[in-house]
Amino acid sequence: MNRMLGWLATSRYAAVLLLLVGIVTYFAVSEGSRFLSQANIENLLGSVSILWIVAIGMTFVVLTGGIDLSVGAVVALAGLVLAKLFNGVGVPAPLAVLLTVGFGATLGAAVNGVLIGRARLSFFVVTLGTASLYQGIVSIWSNTQTEYIDSSLIGGIGFGSALGLSTPIWIMLGVFLVAFVVLRWTYFGRDIYAVGGNIEAARLSGINTTATIVAAYGVVGACAALAGVVQAGRLGASSPDVGAEIPLAAAAAVLLGGTSFLGGIGGVTGTAVGVLFIGTLQNGLAIKGVSSFWQQVVTGVILIVAVGIDRIQQSPRGIVLRRRVRGEEMSDSG
Amino acid sequence: MEADTEPVLRAVGVHKRFGGVHALRGAHIAVRAGEVHGLTGENGSGKSTLLKLLNGQLAPDSGSLEAFGRVTVFKGAREALRSGVATVSQETTLVPDLSVAENILLGHRMPRRAGVIDWGATIARAGEAMGMLGLELDPTIPVRKLRPDQAQMVEIARALSMRARVLILDEPTSSLTDDAVSLLFASVRRLCDRGVATVFVSHRLDEIFSICDRVTVLRDGRTVGEAPITELDRDSLVSLMVGAALEQASHEPARHGVGDRTVLRIRRLSLAGAFTGVDLTVRAGEIVGLAGLVGAGRTELLESLFGLHRPTGAVEVEGEPRWYRSPQAAMHDGLALVPADRKLQGLVLGMSVGENLLMASHSRMFRLRVPRRHPELVAITAAMQALRIRAASRSVSVDTLSGGNQQKVLLGKWLETRPRLLMLDEPTRGVDVGAKAEIYRIMREARAQGIGILVSSSETPELLAVCDTIVVMFRGRVVASLPREQADEALVTRLGGGHG
Repeated sequence: MNRMLGWLATSRYAAVLLLLVGIVTYFAVSEGSRFLSQANIENLLGSVSILWIVAIGMTFVVLTGGIDLSVGAVVALAGLVLAKLFNGVGVPAPLAVLLTVGFGATLGAAVNGVLIGRARLSFFVVTLGTASLYQGIVSIWSNTQTEYIDSSLIGGIGFGSALGLSTPIWIMLGVFLVAFVVLRWTYFGRDIYAVGGNIEAARLSGINTTATIVAAYGVVGACAALAGVVQAGRLGASSPDVGAEIPLAAAAAVLLGGTSFLGGIGGVTGTAVGVLFIGTLQNGLAIKGVSSFWQQVVTGVILIVAVGIDRIQQSPRGIVLRRRVRGEEMSDSG
Repeated sequence: MEADTEPVLRAVGVHKRFGGVHALRGAHIAVRAGEVHGLTGENGSGKSTLLKLLNGQLAPDSGSLEAFGRVTVFKGAREALRSGVATVSQETTLVPDLSVAENILLGHRMPRRAGVIDWGATIARAGEAMGMLGLELDPTIPVRKLRPDQAQMVEIARALSMRARVLILDEPTSSLTDDAVSLLFASVRRLCDRGVATVFVSHRLDEIFSICDRVTVLRDGRTVGEAPITELDRDSLVSLMVGAALEQASHEPARHGVGDRTVLRIRRLSLAGAFTGVDLTVRAGEIVGLAGLVGAGRTELLESLFGLHRPTGAVEVEGEPRWYRSPQAAMHDGLALVPADRKLQGLVLGMSVGENLLMASHSRMFRLRVPRRHPELVAITAAMQALRIRAASRSVSVDTLSGGNQQKVLLGKWLETRPRLLMLDEPTRGVDVGAKAEIYRIMREARAQGIGILVSSSETPELLAVCDTIVVMFRGRVVASLPREQADEALVTRLGGGHG
């Protein structure tokens, strides 16, 4: 019990986990089986699958101290690339899916990654720019038309199931596990934390910080493209209108999950909890008949409150902006 | 100063805990008007915590605080400041993009005329504070353009402009040149004459003896000594700090085993704006010291050798001409650089002791590889033992360690790369006497293993204690290269100050 309390007091995502438990309990009590039914839970998980996949990738760049605002446009662009490859070029569906994900990784690494990691431009400006750029390309290339994709494999990615779980849920689990292992148990994962924690120290330690940042944007690009594939599968089509709300929702999930926007601290477990929280809130409020506009309001308030709780929790006297002072005390008394 | 006057600031029997750590356990200090009161002790003795009680950043768990004759507990640093207790902390609190004048008056209401800021009056008031320090700077340039020592003086000018009755200086000289230190001491003296009390925190014994009237010594969170400086000498002060008479760092370096093998030879190395025509040789098993003032080009020289700048000239490593364009390339040839600023350049403070120790030596591994747990554990444990790193465990984050232990982690990180040439920039900045001695021991052990060492330091006694050869730089040029036997403190200081 004490260990449990200790964990809650120090864990970066304890606040949002408690909130998640709280709202699940609330909706379970107030809505009963409408909320707790297997169908609704599958619906909930399926509806957050896009956000989940993108947010896991977003965690990598936030850990390096950046953010990627272009993920929404990449989701839309990936769907379009998939449709063109499959319908236009006639590439077989499995290969088209792989090429699309590879395209997302290359795009993220070669454009955002190189501009931010190598040319050292501001991540905010670069990804804001590429977001607009990609969205423009999507509109021009698609002629703002939806393009249907008639493939059982791609449809299966959206709606199939295996061993009692739907395919999007399997993809979510897979993406999470791979990201978890990479961040925790590879040198690349350590580099991500080192670059976000102190890029100068990392560079002087011989870590290739440019490559680390380029790779991180490659990861989020791949994740966004994979999310685009899942989205296309769920729609049975590529639509130029998808993904608009994804960048901010993904950033919100990452920050709710306790990853510091300064970089170096956090991880994908917190992000997963953050995504579930946002998804549960939206699902529960929808069941209660609350309009989606109010859902946005509530999500915004909760984001600020959760990050505020986190900050207070990190500081023994509950005073904001005293982190530096604390660090010194500890070093002097150690 | 007369001991019978009432203290202006006093702490009696104060205790402070942080979680499981008992940082202060019955410390006391009494500061009187018009005196310079030294506060000293090793890292971890509780100095910083005590300062934060005095200036309102922390409240004591028990014990009492008195300020200006009244029992008080300041509710935060602002209240302390308003009552007349100003602090210059170790870490810079300047705003880089604001001008010198704005920084000096930060926290005051700027002078106004007709509702808008009166820039003429602002600059005049800032100039007043700078005048007290003899500081000649253009008050309109942004602080980011200043050298570290100038920025530190601006910080002190700001504290002076607060018209404080108690001025707390926490290691104010760590980034100052000798000239700036004497200016600072002169202005502290002037403040004393006006009745201002100064609390002066320092590791540097010679500074304590040259400026302080009384000294309070902390050890393990307790006050273990308080006396007029005239009743103390170096040895008695050091033994109060460490709890036993510390063997003086031996000034005669053991010169055994300096090989004939040349590890590093540089010829006519130049970098625009930093150094010109530098010649230098480091042999295996030799410690070469770089002496000189702050700004003499020592740091840039080390950074250039490590591939961070593009100098012109010739560099030979183990007899081969070399040209490094990145730290990775330099590391590949067995070079290592322990940078001067461990917080900004040296360590990733949020990561664990173990991860920091292995960060450099494992930077050449394939990045998607999974680190092997057992060999890592063995390497970390061995390094922590060999360097006597005191930490709760290998997995605590480095920022929970004291300054001296952080510095040992930084050293260990580079020793783990098994370098042929170890370059160190200010290896003992901000660490206490005990940790200094251990760092010297580590350097001597590395030398005994045949590593060539190039160490840059602004503390001449340190170079005299460890080096076999001392190279003195002045304004980017090598002005002397002295074998240890021919060097003494007076000579090195004179040469480093540009006096042949």
